[in-house]
Amino acid sequence: MMEETRIVQGTWDISTFKFRIEGVGLRRMLENMKEGKLVGTKCHQCGMVYLPGPFYCRKCHIEINEPAEVSDHGEIMTFTIGYADVRGNPLEEPRIAPVVKMDGCDSWIMGVLQGVKPEEVHVGMRVKVQWAENLTGSLQDMQYFVPE
Amino acid sequence: MRNVGIIGIGYTPVFVSKRKDVNIPEMISEAVDNAFANTGLTAADIDAVVFGNMQTFEGVNLPHLWAADYIASLGKPVMRIATGGTTGMSAFHAGYYHITSGLHDVVMVVTYEKQSEGDSQVGLMGIITPELMAMLSAGIDVTGGSGMGAIGGGSAGGISFQASSYLHHSGAGIEHIDAQAALERRNAAKNPYAHLKDPEATAEKIAQTPMVSWPIRFGHICPTSDGATVAILASEKAAAKIADKVAWVHAVANCASDATTANLIESQITDPAEQMPAIIASRQAYERAGIKDPKREIDYVEIYNGFAHQALMYLEKVGMCEVGEAHKLQEAGELEMSGRMPVNASGGVVSTNAIGTSAMNRVTECALQILGRAGEHQVEKEVHKALAHGWGGLMQYVTITILGDKPKKG
Repeated sequence: MMEETRIVQGTWDISTFKFRIEGVGLRRMLENMKEGKLVGTKCHQCGMVYLPGPFYCRKCHIEINEPAEVSDHGEIMTFTIGYADVRGNPLEEPRIAPVVKMDGCDSWIMGVLQGVKPEEVHVGMRVKVQWAENLTGSLQDMQYFVPE
Repeated sequence: MRNVGIIGIGYTPVFVSKRKDVNIPEMISEAVDNAFANTGLTAADIDAVVFGNMQTFEGVNLPHLWAADYIASLGKPVMRIATGGTTGMSAFHAGYYHITSGLHDVVMVVTYEKQSEGDSQVGLMGIITPELMAMLSAGIDVTGGSGMGAIGGGSAGGISFQASSYLHHSGAGIEHIDAQAALERRNAAKNPYAHLKDPEATAEKIAQTPMVSWPIRFGHICPTSDGATVAILASEKAAAKIADKVAWVHAVANCASDATTANLIESQITDPAEQMPAIIASRQAYERAGIKDPKREIDYVEIYNGFAHQALMYLEKVGMCEVGEAHKLQEAGELEMSGRMPVNASGGVVSTNAIGTSAMNRVTECALQILGRAGEHQVEKEVHKALAHGWGGLMQYVTITILGDKPKKG
């Protein structure tokens, strides 16, 4: 019916790009991850809690800077299942990638889900963060999600 | 506001993966010539030109100026529009503004993409590069194995989150996405300007294609195409002099929202399947067009579906049916060319995607249905009013155009 093509070649020098967008909310989130905590930013006007947070409320369009700790438990809002790695090679085990709304938070974050079969994952499923053994203040600290 | 109508349409002779025989301006000029041949107009009749193509895809920064003499724009006002997947319809809207404002009477809208001369995946990566760079510096795992590193690749990766959420909230199954892809590839087989054609396509056949990122299979995904589309628009006064049959613009609308799935750095606040912009823009368009009951008054719909599930999802969002109803209409055969609510008789974007033209072709295909000039893919029912939908950006931008067979009153 159609020809499937897959081309992977060459290099992309990403150091060419110098963007200054390390946000105050992301910095705060990373700092608190050293303690195994998830800390977002709350809008003092509408109460919206972001994780990580922008320096302004995206709904009210006012500056915000109020830390708000959220739970490391949450609910799967949507998900996908990947069958190939970033180079297009088949994965040994399919990789489940949920988008999760943490309890006490209004925004969603992406991650990897382990400890569940692909056919068992569903929207609305309860999950929790599996923290790394050594916390370093990196996004890697939040290793993956596991079922609650 | 003055009435504006489509008085001419031009396509490149084919929409295919690689046009190696022509360069970018040469390919565009084929559609321009075709529009002139179809209308009997010449360059002298055109007051202004609007040009649209996707930013970054071919790495050509000023195609509208490179192609200036190929698009009959020497000594004329030219404006380039680039809004992402919606570019073609945004360019069409700009052409509409040129005329309804009273500034110009006859405007040519030129759209193209020649994706074989670029790398659309690099182009799409460019959209989220700043965020990705920031996340890399914060320790994201670029291989996607752990942490917040589960980035879906390009558009297909992000869109799978949308499809997954849509299936959950609508009650549709992956088999309905298979069936929609098959329906549109069959339609495409009847459209000479479609790219992926399969008169024998079935849901079962689509279901055999590899899973890319659940629930999106290879068979659900649009191709990358080379092609160009031109529309000539005119005021009511000019159309009376130079056109025989006209498809009239009854309303245009567009709406943006937040970046949803691709917004890694400041987190995601919107369900990618919510698509509030489609709801807002379609309701504004209905109001402007004086449409009270779209289900009854709109005869034909062209939905921008780079991925097959979007035809079903957006039918619900633009109010052509209730939430959870689109896949039932599909099961009942109502979305077919012979059905009560035919959609994408052209084969849709899932069959043909020269991106700059894709949202434009939704409008021109609605116009062809209204004019009764769609040929083999003309739908069975009479088309008096049609809705064209465009989608793009980082999931969050929608354009709507409503056309009618008579000038809009009032």
